[in-house]
Amino acid sequence: MEQYIQLAHGAGGSQTNELIETVFKKHLASPAMTADDAAVLTIGAEKLAFTTDGFIVSPYKFPGGNIGKLSVCGTVNDLACMGAKPLYMTCAVVIEEGFPVAELEPIVEAMGRTAREAGVQFAAGDTKVAGKGQVDKIFITTTGIGQLTPGADLSGANAKPGDAVIVTGDVGRHGCTVLLERNEFGIEADVKSDCAPLWHTVEAVLNRTKNVHVIRDATRGGAGTVLYEIASQSGVGFDIERARIPVDPAVRGVCGMLGLEPLYLACEGTLVMIAPAEEADGIVETLRSMPYSANAAVIGRVTAENPGKVVVSTEIGAKTMLPRPGGELLPRIC
Amino acid sequence: METIERAKKIVEGYDGRPLRIMEVCGTHTHEIFRLGIRRILPDNIRLISGPGCPVCVTPCGFIDEAVEAALEKNAIIATFGDLVRVPGSEKSLAGARSEGAEVRVVYAPSDAVDIARENPDREVVFLSVGFETTVPSSCLAVLRAEAEGVDNFSLLTANKTMPNAYEVLKGSADAFLYPGHVNAITGTAVCERLQSEGVSGVIAGFTAAELLTALAVIVEKSRAGKPFFENCYPRVVRPEGSPKAIAIIDRLMEPCDAEWRGLGVIPGSGLALRDAYARFDARKKLALSPQTGTGNPACRCGDILRGDCTPPECPLYGRICTPLSPVGACMVSGEGACSAYYQYTDRG
Repeated sequence: MEQYIQLAHGAGGSQTNELIETVFKKHLASPAMTADDAAVLTIGAEKLAFTTDGFIVSPYKFPGGNIGKLSVCGTVNDLACMGAKPLYMTCAVVIEEGFPVAELEPIVEAMGRTAREAGVQFAAGDTKVAGKGQVDKIFITTTGIGQLTPGADLSGANAKPGDAVIVTGDVGRHGCTVLLERNEFGIEADVKSDCAPLWHTVEAVLNRTKNVHVIRDATRGGAGTVLYEIASQSGVGFDIERARIPVDPAVRGVCGMLGLEPLYLACEGTLVMIAPAEEADGIVETLRSMPYSANAAVIGRVTAENPGKVVVSTEIGAKTMLPRPGGELLPRIC
Repeated sequence: METIERAKKIVEGYDGRPLRIMEVCGTHTHEIFRLGIRRILPDNIRLISGPGCPVCVTPCGFIDEAVEAALEKNAIIATFGDLVRVPGSEKSLAGARSEGAEVRVVYAPSDAVDIARENPDREVVFLSVGFETTVPSSCLAVLRAEAEGVDNFSLLTANKTMPNAYEVLKGSADAFLYPGHVNAITGTAVCERLQSEGVSGVIAGFTAAELLTALAVIVEKSRAGKPFFENCYPRVVRPEGSPKAIAIIDRLMEPCDAEWRGLGVIPGSGLALRDAYARFDARKKLALSPQTGTGNPACRCGDILRGDCTPPECPLYGRICTPLSPVGACMVSGEGACSAYYQYTDRG
């Protein structure tokens, strides 16, 4: 473990895990904690999903959304991934002294609009103002609680050999959008974040079949990180076909220029679903009928071979490993 | 698709004498691993990842200089992202950043000039690494700073040029996969000269079809047993290269001896700012200490770059040297041989 916190400790890869294991879990571990997107708690006869998430995105507004919309989508989607209908949320907002109210209001407006769309109510909130320079404009933390769908049993540990791997949309759009908005690369491309609340998407799938093994949202670290996490949680391998992964042409172009792997760019409105192969076509059909998942596709399958690994069949028909996630997101040069 | 299949068939079907093919471009290395090209090669064709990634060949002492500029001279370091994690003798720039150094990742050298304009009280040092492909944009940034009167901008140079490196490497391979982007600047003369000296190679592009086609051409031409050269990337590489880019480099920079991580000092293989532009030379401007840092002696990067051993044969590989905490040259960036090996192969 490094002596000082580096940005890579927040990138969602192996260094984040190391930090969680060696510092946070050391003091905070409990039986309720799992490696899934939300904890499942039994309170009386009721099973509830419970989760929290902090948002520090820079810039705080970007094509397709802002930090407010993102803060609701993130928590709603974490609950949805457990098959839970989001019920109530809280928010804690830290604002930098001097931040314009005219900029704050659209953020909060987006939170309200997104919450109403997802059918979740804000039940409590907290506001703090930090001195100038003590926080970067605005940080939001949201917490959510949801009710589990009876009959759904979703966990990153449930993937079985032979299962199909589905993505609910094209990958990497949010990460690409934010990278471009930071304007550090002098590249302009028409890319819009996929940021969206996905409870109704998951609900539609679960209404069609409860026979789904894993749902994960491919946020920080992207779909590639999620696949490696599931491979390790379930003790399985993956065989992914490069040609079947949906990627927006503009995102593909930017990735080509910067040397980035779209599977490792964040999505905020795209899920990875793993389900028995015989359910896959039906699930994709349902997904394609929903507003945020018109590009849903089967991208590969779960294997008993190569446990813990993600193998990619490339465009020349060779099989190679998807590099493991880790480290800061860096563009390569030349 | 048809091109890919046809080229693949030629490469897979090669039954001649054993061939060692060296790629000398980091992007080629990365694409070859990403596409899984090594996995379709017959046993008698071996690909060697030569010293083509500019980050990988940047010596330890250069990072020490950048860390000194950042921590002791209070300069803002502007750099391509890959350099941030490259180990120096004591620390990387990522390490320096967590101790308070200001290290900004930029995509173009001219972004560093913008940073200098926004921070008139601080020196902004751009880390100019890379081959002939990236040198012109460093030079243009200097010209822009000069024209706009931005006097708190400078370059810390570790630029390299390929021609003299081939002299060191030519015994290590039967044919080179020449770096298409470099040849787009320098043209084809150097390849023709090498052919006349008995060194074979083809200029290759970067897509699956272009790479496989280049390999198929090497395989076909090798059968004749005579030195050959072919430009397999004509849509980008013209024989004369880019005279404009060459002129800019020549105006601002002059050849110098350069240390390559893993290979040592190769005479005349580097570029440094001419005296007329000394006021943009961070080394002189900030009076940085001379480079003395050296890497871990157990690291076998030099042998790997010459194809004398493969990454798993190095005692450090995968044990104390990984992409997250790289020790040697080839593990440093995603385009290095060890890093590509580590990331794309089933290393257990």
